Amino acid sequence: MTLKQKAFTRKVLIYIALIIMAVAALFPILFCLSASLRTQDDLFRNMFPFSIKSLIPTAATLENYVIIFTKHEFWRPIMNTMIVTVFTIIFGCILNSMAAFAFTCFEFKGKKILYPLVLISFMVPFEAIAIPLYSVASNLSMVDTYAGMIIPAVADGLVTFLFIQFFKDIPPSLVEAARVDGAKWPTIFTKIIMPISVPVFVTAGLMIFMNQWNSYMWPLLVARSKDIRTIQIAISQFSGERSIQWTYIYASSMVSAIIPICLFLPFQKHFVEGITAGSVKG
Amino acid sequence: MGGIYIKNKWLPYLLILPTILMICIFKIYPIIDSVIQGFSSADSNFTLDNYKLLFADKTFWNSLKVTLKFNIIIIPIQIIVSFIMALFVNVKIRGIEVFRTVFYLPFCISLTISTVIWQMMLNVNNGVINSMLGVLGLKPIGFLIDKKWALLSIILISSWRGCAYWMMFILAGLKGIDSAVYESAKIDGSGFFNTMFRITIPLLKNTWLFVLVANTTANFLLFAPMQIATDGGPQGSTNVLMYEAYKSAFKYSNRPRQACLVTILLIIVMLICFVQNRFMTDKEAHR
Repeated sequence: MTLKQKAFTRKVLIYIALIIMAVAALFPILFCLSASLRTQDDLFRNMFPFSIKSLIPTAATLENYVIIFTKHEFWRPIMNTMIVTVFTIIFGCILNSMAAFAFTCFEFKGKKILYPLVLISFMVPFEAIAIPLYSVASNLSMVDTYAGMIIPAVADGLVTFLFIQFFKDIPPSLVEAARVDGAKWPTIFTKIIMPISVPVFVTAGLMIFMNQWNSYMWPLLVARSKDIRTIQIAISQFSGERSIQWTYIYASSMVSAIIPICLFLPFQKHFVEGITAGSVKG
Repeated sequence: MGGIYIKNKWLPYLLILPTILMICIFKIYPIIDSVIQGFSSADSNFTLDNYKLLFADKTFWNSLKVTLKFNIIIIPIQIIVSFIMALFVNVKIRGIEVFRTVFYLPFCISLTISTVIWQMMLNVNNGVINSMLGVLGLKPIGFLIDKKWALLSIILISSWRGCAYWMMFILAGLKGIDSAVYESAKIDGSGFFNTMFRITIPLLKNTWLFVLVANTTANFLLFAPMQIATDGGPQGSTNVLMYEAYKSAFKYSNRPRQACLVTILLIIVMLICFVQNRFMTDKEAHR
Protein backbone atom coordinates (compact mmCIF):
# COMPACT_ATOMS: atom_id res chain seq x y z
CA MET A 1 0.00 0.00 0.00
CA THR A 2 1.19 3.48 -0.73
CA LEU A 3 1.27 6.09 1.97
CA LYS A 4 -1.74 7.79 0.44
CA GLN A 5 -3.79 4.60 0.48
CA LYS A 6 -2.76 3.96 4.06
CA ALA A 7 -3.93 7.42 5.15
CA PHE A 8 -7.21 6.88 3.31
CA THR A 9 -7.87 3.51 5.00
CA ARG A 10 -7.09 5.06 8.34
CA LYS A 11 -9.58 7.84 7.70
CA VAL A 12 -12.30 5.39 6.65
CA LEU A 13 -11.73 3.28 9.78
CA ILE A 14 -11.94 6.35 12.00
CA TYR A 15 -15.22 7.39 10.37
CA ILE A 16 -16.65 3.89 10.78
CA ALA A 17 -15.76 3.90 14.50
CA LEU A 18 -17.20 7.40 14.91
CA ILE A 19 -20.42 6.41 13.18
CA ILE A 20 -20.84 3.30 15.35
CA MET A 21 -20.42 5.40 18.49
CA ALA A 22 -22.74 8.09 17.14
CA VAL A 23 -25.45 5.51 16.49
CA ALA A 24 -25.11 4.24 20.06
CA ALA A 25 -25.40 7.79 21.38
CA LEU A 26 -28.27 8.80 19.14
CA PHE A 27 -30.41 5.68 18.90
CA PRO A 28 -32.31 6.07 22.18
CA ILE A 29 -32.95 9.75 21.51
CA LEU A 30 -34.16 9.21 17.95
CA PHE A 31 -36.24 6.22 18.94
CA CYS A 32 -37.80 8.28 21.70
CA LEU A 33 -38.60 11.06 19.23
CA SER A 34 -40.11 8.62 16.75
CA ALA A 35 -42.15 6.80 19.41
CA SER A 36 -43.46 10.10 20.77
CA LEU A 37 -45.00 10.81 17.36
CA ARG A 38 -47.09 7.64 17.11
CA THR A 39 -50.01 6.04 18.85
CA GLN A 40 -49.33 3.29 21.34
CA ASP A 41 -51.29 0.89 19.18
CA ASP A 42 -49.14 1.71 16.16
CA LEU A 43 -45.98 1.33 18.26
CA PHE A 44 -46.86 -2.04 19.82
CA ARG A 45 -48.47 -3.63 16.77
CA ASN A 46 -45.38 -3.08 14.63
CA MET A 47 -42.81 -4.00 17.28
CA PHE A 48 -42.67 -7.76 16.70
CA PRO A 49 -41.38 -9.05 14.35
CA PHE A 50 -38.78 -6.39 13.76
CA SER A 51 -39.10 -4.28 10.62
CA ILE A 52 -38.49 -0.70 9.65
CA LYS A 53 -42.02 0.00 10.92
CA SER A 54 -40.81 -0.84 14.42
CA LEU A 55 -38.66 2.27 14.31
CA ILE A 56 -40.58 4.70 12.15
CA PRO A 57 -44.20 5.84 12.62
CA THR A 58 -46.65 4.60 10.02
CA ALA A 59 -48.70 7.74 10.61
CA ALA A 60 -47.10 10.55 12.61
CA THR A 61 -49.29 12.34 15.12
CA LEU A 62 -48.86 15.05 17.74
CA GLU A 63 -51.65 13.58 19.85
CA ASN A 64 -49.32 12.47 22.67
CA TYR A 65 -47.96 15.97 23.11
CA VAL A 66 -51.46 17.42 23.15
CA ILE A 67 -52.63 14.90 25.74
CA ILE A 68 -49.70 15.28 28.14
CA PHE A 69 -50.16 19.03 28.16
CA THR A 70 -53.95 19.06 28.47
CA LYS A 71 -55.02 15.92 30.33
CA HIS A 72 -51.87 15.41 32.38
CA GLU A 73 -51.12 19.10 32.91
CA PHE A 74 -47.51 18.59 31.98
CA TRP A 75 -46.95 22.32 31.76
CA ARG A 76 -47.12 22.43 35.54
CA PRO A 77 -43.90 20.47 36.27
CA ILE A 78 -42.21 22.41 33.48
CA MET A 79 -43.19 25.70 35.10
CA ASN A 80 -42.06 24.43 38.50
CA THR A 81 -38.71 23.36 37.14
CA MET A 82 -38.34 26.72 35.39
CA ILE A 83 -39.08 28.62 38.61
CA VAL A 84 -36.63 26.53 40.63
CA THR A 85 -33.94 26.73 37.97
CA VAL A 86 -34.21 30.45 37.27
CA PHE A 87 -34.13 31.44 40.94
CA THR A 88 -31.22 29.12 41.68
CA ILE A 89 -29.29 30.62 38.78
CA ILE A 90 -29.97 34.20 39.93
CA PHE A 91 -29.12 33.64 43.60
CA GLY A 92 -26.33 31.20 42.79
CA CYS A 93 -24.59 33.61 40.44
CA ILE A 94 -24.92 36.59 42.79
CA LEU A 95 -23.93 34.92 46.06
CA ASN A 96 -21.15 32.70 44.74
CA SER A 97 -19.59 35.53 42.76
CA MET A 98 -19.74 37.77 45.83
CA ALA A 99 -17.92 35.18 47.88
CA ALA A 100 -15.39 34.67 45.12
CA PHE A 101 -14.84 38.43 44.94
CA ALA A 102 -14.11 38.50 48.67
CA PHE A 103 -11.70 35.58 48.42
CA THR A 104 -9.73 37.06 45.52
CA CYS A 105 -9.77 40.73 46.46
CA PHE A 106 -9.52 40.90 50.21
CA GLU A 107 -7.28 39.80 52.98
CA PHE A 108 -9.22 38.88 56.08
CA LYS A 109 -8.94 36.79 59.21
CA GLY A 110 -10.14 33.23 58.86
CA LYS A 111 -9.65 33.13 55.13
CA LYS A 112 -7.30 30.18 55.46
CA ILE A 113 -10.06 28.17 57.13
CA LEU A 114 -13.00 29.38 55.09
CA TYR A 115 -11.47 28.85 51.66
CA PRO A 116 -10.83 25.11 52.16
CA LEU A 117 -14.36 24.85 53.54
CA VAL A 118 -15.71 26.05 50.19
CA LEU A 119 -13.48 23.61 48.33
CA ILE A 120 -14.47 20.67 50.51
CA SER A 121 -18.13 21.42 49.99
CA PHE A 122 -17.94 20.64 46.31
CA MET A 123 -16.31 17.32 46.94
CA VAL A 124 -19.20 16.25 49.14
CA PRO A 125 -21.55 14.28 46.92
CA PHE A 126 -25.09 15.49 47.20
CA GLU A 127 -26.58 12.00 47.34
CA ALA A 128 -24.65 11.22 50.48
CA ILE A 129 -26.10 14.13 52.43
CA ALA A 130 -29.54 14.27 50.86
CA ILE A 131 -31.26 12.24 53.56
CA PRO A 132 -29.88 14.09 56.61
CA LEU A 133 -30.40 17.29 54.64
CA TYR A 134 -34.07 16.41 54.54
CA SER A 135 -34.34 16.84 58.31
CA VAL A 136 -32.63 20.22 58.03
CA ALA A 137 -35.12 21.27 55.38
CA SER A 138 -38.00 19.98 57.43
CA ASN A 139 -36.81 21.90 60.51
CA LEU A 140 -36.70 25.04 58.39
CA SER A 141 -40.20 24.13 57.10
CA MET A 142 -38.95 24.00 53.55
CA VAL A 143 -40.56 20.68 52.70
CA ASP A 144 -42.90 20.96 49.72
CA THR A 145 -41.88 24.50 48.91
CA TYR A 146 -39.93 26.03 46.06
CA ALA A 147 -37.51 27.40 48.63
CA GLY A 148 -36.69 23.85 49.69
CA MET A 149 -35.46 23.08 46.20
CA ILE A 150 -33.77 26.43 45.58
CA ILE A 151 -31.96 27.45 48.77
CA PRO A 152 -29.89 24.31 49.46
CA ALA A 153 -28.61 24.41 45.87
CA VAL A 154 -27.55 28.07 45.85
CA ALA A 155 -24.19 27.88 47.62
CA ASP A 156 -22.06 25.73 45.37
CA GLY A 157 -18.35 25.32 45.99
CA LEU A 158 -17.68 24.48 42.37
CA VAL A 159 -19.38 27.63 41.13
CA THR A 160 -17.54 29.79 43.69
CA PHE A 161 -14.29 28.18 42.64
CA LEU A 162 -15.08 28.88 38.99
CA PHE A 163 -15.57 32.58 39.77
CA ILE A 164 -12.36 32.69 41.81
CA GLN A 165 -10.38 31.22 38.91
CA PHE A 166 -11.75 33.89 36.61
CA PHE A 167 -11.44 36.87 38.98
CA LYS A 168 -7.79 36.02 39.63
CA ASP A 169 -6.99 36.94 36.03
CA ILE A 170 -8.58 40.38 36.12
CA PRO A 171 -5.78 42.97 36.02
CA PRO A 172 -5.46 44.74 39.41
CA SER A 173 -4.89 48.08 37.67
CA LEU A 174 -8.53 48.11 36.63
CA VAL A 175 -9.71 47.98 40.22
CA GLU A 176 -7.01 50.32 41.46
CA ALA A 177 -7.90 52.96 38.88
CA ALA A 178 -11.50 52.89 39.99
CA ARG A 179 -10.44 53.10 43.63
CA VAL A 180 -8.36 56.18 42.89
CA ASP A 181 -11.40 57.71 41.25
CA GLY A 182 -13.18 57.19 44.55
CA ALA A 183 -15.50 54.37 43.50
CA LYS A 184 -17.11 52.42 46.32
CA TRP A 185 -16.80 48.60 46.47
CA PRO A 186 -20.37 47.88 45.37
CA THR A 187 -19.83 50.09 42.33
CA ILE A 188 -16.53 48.40 41.54
CA PHE A 189 -18.20 45.02 41.71
CA THR A 190 -21.27 45.84 39.65
CA LYS A 191 -19.77 48.33 37.19
CA ILE A 192 -16.28 46.94 36.63
CA ILE A 193 -16.03 43.31 37.65
CA MET A 194 -19.42 42.07 36.49
CA PRO A 195 -19.36 43.47 32.93
CA ILE A 196 -15.99 41.90 32.12
CA SER A 197 -17.01 38.64 33.75
CA VAL A 198 -19.95 37.88 31.47
CA PRO A 199 -18.38 34.65 30.11
CA VAL A 200 -17.91 33.18 33.57
CA PHE A 201 -21.45 34.15 34.53
CA VAL A 202 -22.69 32.29 31.44
CA THR A 203 -20.69 29.20 32.38
CA ALA A 204 -21.80 29.31 36.00
CA GLY A 205 -25.41 29.85 35.00
CA LEU A 206 -25.27 26.93 32.61
CA MET A 207 -23.72 24.69 35.23
CA ILE A 208 -26.40 25.57 37.75
CA PHE A 209 -29.03 25.08 35.09
CA MET A 210 -27.86 21.58 34.19
CA ASN A 211 -27.66 20.62 37.86
CA GLN A 212 -31.09 21.89 38.75
CA TRP A 213 -32.90 20.83 35.60
CA ASN A 214 -31.61 17.28 35.95
CA SER A 215 -31.63 16.93 39.70
CA TYR A 216 -33.69 14.01 40.84
CA MET A 217 -32.93 12.83 44.32
CA TRP A 218 -33.38 16.10 46.17
CA PRO A 219 -36.71 17.13 44.62
CA LEU A 220 -37.86 13.54 45.10
CA LEU A 221 -37.34 13.93 48.83
CA VAL A 222 -38.23 17.54 49.45
CA ALA A 223 -41.00 18.30 46.96
CA ARG A 224 -43.29 15.35 46.64
CA SER A 225 -46.64 17.08 46.35
CA LYS A 226 -48.15 17.14 42.90
CA ASP A 227 -48.38 20.93 42.75
CA ILE A 228 -44.70 21.67 42.96
CA ARG A 229 -43.01 18.53 41.67
CA THR A 230 -40.40 19.04 39.00
CA ILE A 231 -40.15 17.58 35.55
CA GLN A 232 -37.84 14.70 36.48
CA ILE A 233 -40.12 13.60 39.29
CA ALA A 234 -43.21 13.93 37.10
CA ILE A 235 -41.70 11.67 34.46
CA SER A 236 -40.42 9.07 36.90
CA GLN A 237 -43.86 8.94 38.50
CA PHE A 238 -45.43 8.79 35.06
CA SER A 239 -43.43 5.70 34.27
CA GLY A 240 -44.49 4.08 37.50
CA GLU A 241 -48.20 4.30 36.68
CA ARG A 242 -49.53 1.06 35.28
CA SER A 243 -52.24 2.57 33.14
CA ILE A 244 -50.08 5.19 31.47
CA GLN A 245 -49.41 4.92 27.75
CA TRP A 246 -45.78 4.56 26.80
CA THR A 247 -46.08 7.07 24.01
CA TYR A 248 -47.01 9.73 26.60
CA ILE A 249 -43.82 8.98 28.49
CA TYR A 250 -41.79 9.20 25.30
CA ALA A 251 -43.41 12.55 24.48
CA SER A 252 -42.84 14.00 27.94
CA SER A 253 -39.22 12.79 27.90
CA MET A 254 -38.73 14.58 24.60
CA VAL A 255 -40.19 17.80 26.01
CA SER A 256 -37.95 17.73 29.05
CA ALA A 257 -34.85 16.88 27.03
CA ILE A 258 -35.27 19.54 24.39
CA ILE A 259 -34.71 22.49 26.71
CA PRO A 260 -31.30 21.40 28.08
CA ILE A 261 -30.24 20.35 24.58
CA CYS A 262 -31.11 23.78 23.17
CA LEU A 263 -29.25 25.51 25.96
CA PHE A 264 -26.27 23.18 26.16
CA LEU A 265 -25.31 22.79 22.52
CA PRO A 266 -24.69 26.47 21.69
CA PHE A 267 -22.71 26.91 24.92
CA GLN A 268 -20.99 23.51 25.04
CA LYS A 269 -17.57 25.14 24.88
CA HIS A 270 -18.27 27.35 27.90
CA PHE A 271 -19.59 24.42 29.87
CA VAL A 272 -16.65 22.17 29.11
CA GLU A 273 -14.22 24.96 29.96
CA GLY A 274 -16.10 25.55 33.19
CA ILE A 275 -16.04 22.01 34.45
CA THR A 276 -12.43 21.72 33.36
CA ALA A 277 -11.43 24.77 35.36
CA GLY A 278 -13.14 23.27 38.37
CA SER A 279 -11.50 19.88 38.10
CA VAL A 280 -8.46 19.27 35.99
CA LYS A 281 -6.75 22.58 36.63
CA GLY A 282 -7.85 22.62 40.24
CA MET B 1 -6.48 40.37 40.45
CA GLY B 2 -4.24 37.91 42.16
CA GLY B 3 -2.06 39.51 44.73
CA ILE B 4 -3.89 42.68 45.62
CA TYR B 5 -5.39 42.01 48.94
CA ILE B 6 -7.17 44.93 50.38
CA LYS B 7 -7.80 45.20 54.07
CA ASN B 8 -11.35 46.00 54.96
CA LYS B 9 -12.87 45.22 58.30
CA TRP B 10 -16.34 43.98 57.58
CA LEU B 11 -16.95 43.93 53.83
CA PRO B 12 -15.30 40.58 53.00
CA TYR B 13 -17.21 38.88 55.81
CA LEU B 14 -20.45 40.34 54.57
CA LEU B 15 -19.70 39.10 51.06
CA ILE B 16 -18.91 35.54 52.04
CA LEU B 17 -21.46 35.25 54.82
CA PRO B 18 -24.41 33.93 52.75
CA THR B 19 -22.34 31.36 50.90
CA ILE B 20 -20.46 30.11 53.96
CA LEU B 21 -23.61 30.00 56.04
CA MET B 22 -25.42 27.94 53.43
CA ILE B 23 -22.48 25.60 52.97
CA CYS B 24 -22.38 24.98 56.70
CA ILE B 25 -26.12 24.41 57.03
CA PHE B 26 -26.74 22.42 53.87
CA LYS B 27 -23.46 20.60 53.30
CA ILE B 28 -21.31 20.30 56.41
CA TYR B 29 -23.96 19.91 59.11
CA PRO B 30 -25.85 17.04 57.39
CA ILE B 31 -22.68 14.93 57.25
CA ILE B 32 -21.89 15.46 60.92
CA ASP B 33 -25.51 14.83 61.81
CA SER B 34 -25.52 11.61 59.82
CA VAL B 35 -22.44 10.25 61.56
CA ILE B 36 -23.81 11.16 65.01
CA GLN B 37 -27.20 9.59 64.31
CA GLY B 38 -25.61 6.28 63.44
CA PHE B 39 -24.08 6.13 66.92
CA SER B 40 -27.15 7.36 68.80
CA SER B 41 -29.79 5.30 70.53
CA ALA B 42 -33.45 6.32 70.67
CA ASP B 43 -32.77 8.37 73.83
CA SER B 44 -29.70 10.05 72.24
CA ASN B 45 -27.03 8.09 74.10
CA PHE B 46 -23.92 6.70 72.47
CA THR B 47 -24.47 3.19 71.20
CA LEU B 48 -23.11 0.69 68.72
CA ASP B 49 -26.44 -1.13 68.48
CA ASN B 50 -27.38 0.38 65.12
CA TYR B 51 -24.25 -0.97 63.55
CA LYS B 52 -24.62 -4.34 65.32
CA LEU B 53 -28.15 -4.65 63.97
CA LEU B 54 -27.01 -3.71 60.50
CA PHE B 55 -24.11 -6.16 60.45
CA ALA B 56 -26.46 -8.97 61.52
CA ASP B 57 -28.70 -8.19 58.57
CA LYS B 58 -28.37 -10.35 55.45
CA THR B 59 -29.83 -7.61 53.25
CA PHE B 60 -26.92 -5.37 54.17
CA TRP B 61 -24.29 -7.92 53.15
CA ASN B 62 -26.12 -8.59 49.90
CA SER B 63 -26.27 -4.84 49.18
CA LEU B 64 -22.58 -4.49 49.94
CA LYS B 65 -21.81 -7.31 47.53
CA VAL B 66 -24.04 -5.80 44.82
CA THR B 67 -22.47 -2.35 45.32
CA LEU B 68 -18.94 -3.72 44.98
CA LYS B 69 -19.82 -5.86 41.96
CA PHE B 70 -21.58 -2.95 40.28
CA ASN B 71 -18.63 -0.63 40.76
CA ILE B 72 -15.95 -3.12 39.81
CA ILE B 73 -17.67 -3.47 36.46
CA ILE B 74 -18.94 0.05 35.79
CA ILE B 75 -15.90 2.15 36.74
CA PRO B 76 -13.42 0.56 34.29
CA ILE B 77 -16.08 0.36 31.56
CA GLN B 78 -16.97 4.03 31.84
CA ILE B 79 -13.39 5.22 31.99
CA ILE B 80 -12.16 3.07 29.11
CA VAL B 81 -15.13 3.84 26.86
CA SER B 82 -14.97 7.58 27.55
CA PHE B 83 -11.23 7.54 26.89
CA ILE B 84 -11.77 5.81 23.54
CA MET B 85 -14.52 8.29 22.66
CA ALA B 86 -12.31 11.22 23.64
CA LEU B 87 -9.40 9.86 21.56
CA PHE B 88 -11.60 9.59 18.49
CA VAL B 89 -13.20 12.98 18.96
CA ASN B 90 -9.75 14.52 19.33
CA VAL B 91 -8.69 13.39 15.84
CA LYS B 92 -8.50 16.27 13.40
CA ILE B 93 -10.79 15.15 10.62
CA ARG B 94 -13.59 16.78 8.65
CA GLY B 95 -16.96 16.87 10.45
CA ILE B 96 -15.51 16.03 13.85
CA GLU B 97 -17.46 18.89 15.51
CA VAL B 98 -20.69 17.17 14.49
CA PHE B 99 -19.60 13.91 16.09
CA ARG B 100 -18.45 15.71 19.21
CA THR B 101 -21.84 17.38 19.57
CA VAL B 102 -23.60 14.05 19.02
CA PHE B 103 -21.44 12.41 21.69
CA TYR B 104 -22.36 15.16 24.14
CA LEU B 105 -26.09 14.68 23.56
CA PRO B 106 -26.69 11.82 26.04
CA PHE B 107 -25.33 14.08 28.76
CA CYS B 108 -28.17 16.53 28.08
CA ILE B 109 -30.73 13.82 28.77
CA SER B 110 -31.02 13.52 32.53
CA LEU B 111 -30.34 10.21 34.22
CA THR B 112 -34.00 9.95 35.16
CA ILE B 113 -35.17 10.31 31.60
CA SER B 114 -32.49 8.06 30.14
CA THR B 115 -33.52 5.41 32.65
CA VAL B 116 -37.17 5.76 31.75
CA ILE B 117 -36.46 5.61 28.00
CA TRP B 118 -34.11 2.63 28.30
CA GLN B 119 -36.54 0.88 30.61
CA MET B 120 -39.15 0.93 27.87
CA MET B 121 -36.66 -0.01 25.17
CA LEU B 122 -35.42 -2.98 27.20
CA ASN B 123 -38.90 -4.23 28.04
CA VAL B 124 -39.37 -7.94 27.49
CA ASN B 125 -42.74 -7.75 25.74
CA ASN B 126 -42.76 -4.52 23.77
CA GLY B 127 -39.17 -3.31 23.85
CA VAL B 128 -37.38 -2.35 20.68
CA ILE B 129 -34.09 -3.94 21.76
CA ASN B 130 -35.69 -7.36 22.12
CA SER B 131 -37.43 -6.83 18.81
CA MET B 132 -34.06 -6.14 17.18
CA LEU B 133 -32.46 -9.14 18.87
CA GLY B 134 -35.29 -11.18 17.36
CA VAL B 135 -33.74 -10.58 13.94
CA LEU B 136 -30.70 -12.49 15.17
CA GLY B 137 -33.01 -15.30 16.23
CA LEU B 138 -32.71 -14.60 19.95
CA LYS B 139 -35.59 -15.13 22.35
CA PRO B 140 -36.74 -12.00 24.26
CA ILE B 141 -34.53 -11.31 27.26
CA GLY B 142 -35.96 -9.93 30.51
CA PHE B 143 -33.23 -7.34 30.82
CA LEU B 144 -34.65 -5.68 33.89
CA ILE B 145 -36.62 -8.57 35.39
CA ASP B 146 -34.08 -11.37 35.03
CA LYS B 147 -31.61 -11.70 37.89
CA LYS B 148 -28.80 -12.47 35.45
CA TRP B 149 -29.31 -9.33 33.39
CA ALA B 150 -30.66 -6.62 35.69
CA LEU B 151 -27.35 -5.31 37.04
CA LEU B 152 -25.75 -5.33 33.60
CA SER B 153 -28.73 -3.45 32.18
CA ILE B 154 -28.41 -0.80 34.88
CA ILE B 155 -24.72 -0.52 34.00
CA LEU B 156 -25.63 -0.02 30.35
CA ILE B 157 -28.22 2.65 31.19
CA SER B 158 -25.92 4.62 33.49
CA SER B 159 -22.95 4.34 31.15
CA TRP B 160 -24.87 5.53 28.12
CA ARG B 161 -25.19 8.92 29.76
CA GLY B 162 -22.12 8.71 31.99
CA CYS B 163 -19.59 8.15 29.20
CA ALA B 164 -20.68 11.36 27.49
CA TYR B 165 -19.98 13.22 30.71
CA TRP B 166 -16.60 11.72 31.54
CA MET B 167 -15.51 12.08 27.92
CA MET B 168 -15.67 15.86 28.34
CA PHE B 169 -13.06 15.79 31.09
CA ILE B 170 -10.72 13.42 29.26
CA LEU B 171 -11.10 15.42 26.05
CA ALA B 172 -10.20 18.58 27.95
CA GLY B 173 -7.11 16.79 29.24
CA LEU B 174 -6.15 15.59 25.76
CA LYS B 175 -6.50 19.12 24.39
CA GLY B 176 -4.08 20.29 27.06
CA ILE B 177 -1.28 18.10 25.69
CA ASP B 178 1.16 20.06 23.54
CA SER B 179 1.04 18.73 19.98
CA ALA B 180 4.83 19.15 19.77
CA VAL B 181 5.12 16.17 22.12
CA TYR B 182 3.36 13.96 19.58
CA GLU B 183 5.43 15.29 16.71
CA SER B 184 8.73 14.51 18.37
CA ALA B 185 7.40 11.04 19.27
CA LYS B 186 6.55 10.52 15.62
CA ILE B 187 10.01 11.59 14.53
CA ASP B 188 11.49 9.15 17.02
CA GLY B 189 9.47 6.44 15.30
CA SER B 190 7.06 5.77 18.15
CA GLY B 191 4.06 3.71 17.03
CA PHE B 192 0.42 4.34 17.93
CA PHE B 193 0.26 2.10 20.99
CA ASN B 194 3.68 3.12 22.21
CA THR B 195 2.70 6.79 22.01
CA MET B 196 -0.58 6.08 23.76
CA PHE B 197 0.80 4.10 26.71
CA ARG B 198 4.12 5.89 27.09
CA ILE B 199 3.05 9.46 26.35
CA THR B 200 -0.70 10.16 26.22
CA ILE B 201 -1.82 8.16 29.25
CA PRO B 202 1.02 9.29 31.59
CA LEU B 203 0.58 12.92 30.55
CA LEU B 204 -3.09 12.79 31.52
CA LYS B 205 -2.17 12.01 35.13
CA ASN B 206 -4.13 14.90 36.67
CA THR B 207 -7.14 14.11 34.54
CA TRP B 208 -7.05 10.44 35.52
CA LEU B 209 -6.88 11.25 39.18
CA PHE B 210 -9.90 13.53 38.97
CA VAL B 211 -11.94 11.25 36.70
CA LEU B 212 -11.17 8.19 38.80
CA VAL B 213 -12.08 9.81 42.10
CA ALA B 214 -15.16 11.61 40.78
CA ASN B 215 -16.37 8.56 38.88
CA THR B 216 -15.92 6.29 41.89
CA THR B 217 -17.82 8.68 44.12
CA ALA B 218 -20.62 9.13 41.59
CA ASN B 219 -21.09 5.43 40.94
CA PHE B 220 -20.92 4.31 44.55
CA LEU B 221 -23.71 6.76 45.37
CA LEU B 222 -25.79 6.10 42.28
CA PHE B 223 -29.29 4.88 42.92
CA ALA B 224 -31.79 6.63 40.63
CA PRO B 225 -31.73 3.98 37.87
CA MET B 226 -32.27 1.22 40.40
CA GLN B 227 -35.08 3.10 42.05
CA ILE B 228 -36.85 3.81 38.78
CA ALA B 229 -36.18 0.70 36.71
CA THR B 230 -35.83 -2.26 39.07
CA ASP B 231 -36.71 -1.16 42.60
CA GLY B 232 -33.58 -2.95 43.74
CA GLY B 233 -34.83 -6.23 42.36
CA PRO B 234 -35.15 -8.84 41.01
CA GLN B 235 -34.31 -10.68 44.22
CA GLY B 236 -32.11 -7.86 45.45
CA SER B 237 -29.74 -8.19 42.50
CA THR B 238 -29.58 -4.41 41.95
CA ASN B 239 -30.14 -3.37 45.55
CA VAL B 240 -27.08 -1.17 46.07
CA LEU B 241 -26.22 0.31 49.48
CA MET B 242 -27.34 3.80 48.54
CA TYR B 243 -30.77 2.53 47.52
CA GLU B 244 -30.99 0.51 50.71
CA ALA B 245 -30.19 3.72 52.60
CA TYR B 246 -32.91 5.57 50.72
CA LYS B 247 -35.42 2.83 51.50
CA SER B 248 -34.37 2.72 55.15
CA ALA B 249 -35.16 6.39 55.55
CA PHE B 250 -38.29 6.72 53.47
CA LYS B 251 -39.85 3.27 53.26
CA TYR B 252 -39.00 1.76 56.65
CA SER B 253 -38.66 5.11 58.48
CA ASN B 254 -35.50 3.80 60.10
CA ARG B 255 -33.24 6.85 60.28
CA PRO B 256 -30.39 5.32 62.32
CA ARG B 257 -30.09 2.47 59.83
CA GLN B 258 -29.92 4.96 56.98
CA ALA B 259 -27.29 6.98 58.85
CA CYS B 260 -25.16 3.86 59.37
CA LEU B 261 -25.48 2.88 55.72
CA VAL B 262 -24.50 6.32 54.42
CA THR B 263 -21.59 6.52 56.87
CA ILE B 264 -20.29 3.11 55.78
CA LEU B 265 -20.71 4.08 52.15
CA LEU B 266 -18.79 7.33 52.66
CA ILE B 267 -16.01 5.49 54.47
CA ILE B 268 -15.71 2.98 51.62
CA VAL B 269 -15.63 5.78 49.06
CA MET B 270 -13.05 7.75 51.05
CA LEU B 271 -10.84 4.68 51.45
CA ILE B 272 -10.97 3.87 47.76
CA CYS B 273 -10.28 7.47 46.76
CA PHE B 274 -7.39 7.57 49.21
CA VAL B 275 -5.88 4.43 47.67
CA GLN B 276 -6.40 5.82 44.17
CA ASN B 277 -4.75 9.06 45.19
CA ARG B 278 -1.83 7.22 46.75
CA PHE B 279 -1.43 4.95 43.75
CA MET B 280 -1.50 7.78 41.22
CA THR B 281 0.92 10.05 43.06
CA ASP B 282 3.24 7.21 44.01
CA LYS B 283 3.81 6.41 40.38
CA GLU B 284 4.95 9.96 39.80
CA ALA B 285 7.53 9.74 42.60
CA HIS B 286 9.18 6.77 40.91
CA ARG B 287 9.37 8.43 37.56
